[in-house]
Amino acid sequence: MVDFIGRMFPPNTAVAKTVLASTLETLQMAFAGTVISALVSFPLGLLGAENLSPSWVHQPVKGFLSILRAIPIILLALMFVSTVGLGPFPGVLALAVHSTGMLGKFYAEAFENASSGPLEALESSGANWIQKVRFGVLTQVAPDLVRDTLFRFELNLRESLILGLVGAGGIGFYIQLYIRSFQYDKVATLTIVLLVIVVLVEQLSVAIRKRLR
Amino acid sequence: MELSSNVEDKSNLREIGKAQAENAISIRDVKFRYTNRSPYVLNIENLRIQKGERVSIIGPSGAGKTTLMRLINGVIEHESGEVKILGKTFDGGSKKSRGFRRRIGFIYQNFNLIDRASVFENVLWGRVAYINPLFSLIGRFCERDKQAALSAIDEVNLTQHMNQRTDTLSGGQMQRVAIARVLVQEPEIILADEPVSNLDPALTDDILNLLAEVSENHKVTLIMNLHQTDLAQRSAERIIGLRSGEIVYDSSQERLFNHVPKSLFDPEVTSLKMPKNRN
Repeated sequence: MVDFIGRMFPPNTAVAKTVLASTLETLQMAFAGTVISALVSFPLGLLGAENLSPSWVHQPVKGFLSILRAIPIILLALMFVSTVGLGPFPGVLALAVHSTGMLGKFYAEAFENASSGPLEALESSGANWIQKVRFGVLTQVAPDLVRDTLFRFELNLRESLILGLVGAGGIGFYIQLYIRSFQYDKVATLTIVLLVIVVLVEQLSVAIRKRLR
Repeated sequence: MELSSNVEDKSNLREIGKAQAENAISIRDVKFRYTNRSPYVLNIENLRIQKGERVSIIGPSGAGKTTLMRLINGVIEHESGEVKILGKTFDGGSKKSRGFRRRIGFIYQNFNLIDRASVFENVLWGRVAYINPLFSLIGRFCERDKQAALSAIDEVNLTQHMNQRTDTLSGGQMQRVAIARVLVQEPEIILADEPVSNLDPALTDDILNLLAEVSENHKVTLIMNLHQTDLAQRSAERIIGLRSGEIVYDSSQERLFNHVPKSLFDPEVTSLKMPKNRN
């Protein structure tokens, strides 16, 4: 282990250009995967919420979301790599599908936690289902949705590294490439950049969540 | 506003009006229970409330006051009998349309405001029945709706708090927002379910006076659930006593308005029953 770490120093900065490009690709993958999954999870969350959908709708939807969560992300990535080829695209698809299982459940729970009193008041004013969701539910749970989505983005950033190991692009792809060719000094540069990115994204996420209370 | 000072002046006008008035609410032989096996929580043979009346429903906890309100508002559906509201008859199971629900305003004990939204937003959203549901997706309201909201906020004296979040307001202010939200609906009936039970005595008078003022100014039928008999006598023209889901007292059929039977709240007395009068 000491030998392994020893060979990582000093970090090789000659790969800076590759590092920047692959970091950007990783961020793009995590971002695209999160956005797609948020867009899909939103209607699924509405359909999966007990207070907004009848039981014959919300129970199958919740079951479907459980199945999505149960499939390991590596398996999804391997499936998509074999169907659409190498690169960031299968990575994005794997992240989107896996995240939907989690975000859909989180969104549904957020919707269920919306206080029922204001919803009853809106219904009494003549609101239909769409208006109850728009004015009653979303206004109450918007900070929760943003918090959950940011949390998933942080997770996706880490997950996208692992996906790189199976050929789904991003910084993870170069990490496994350099490790296999024993270029540990380059791995060190990638690891440092990665640490900085993860910490920055976390700090940004915390700052946004604080403002949304 | 001093409630008692206006009662005599307005009573003559009201009497003339009522002689020609239609019923705002007419309930006949209505029974309701929450499940098939549970006992009936509402069993009303005959109740008529005329348009423009200011009625207080009193009774002990569990008497069915809130259930009656919810029945009128259409949140629950009756099992048998006939409910006629604003000229429209509802059989058990018939749904009320958006446009119809708009005509009945509901003021809640717990205000039921959206905490994170401003006073203006909470009031404006009382206009939902007036806008196209698709426009509501982008939260778009027309100028007329915004003016109605501003006017209602002004009427309850909250203009200076208009942009404040409702979770930063006092209890009395929150109930004022709830009243303004009902006003923008331009309702014909206002149902207030224990509107002052979360307020201190000073705010209680303040809110009851405001409700009386609003019902006078807008010619709205006002029905309030109240726990205290003295509050009901001060703020309503008619008192209806409920017990075990049945109407056991109605001041409109009694000689003395101020004589509310104390036995209404006495669990030992079990023989309370209104004489049958089906008008």
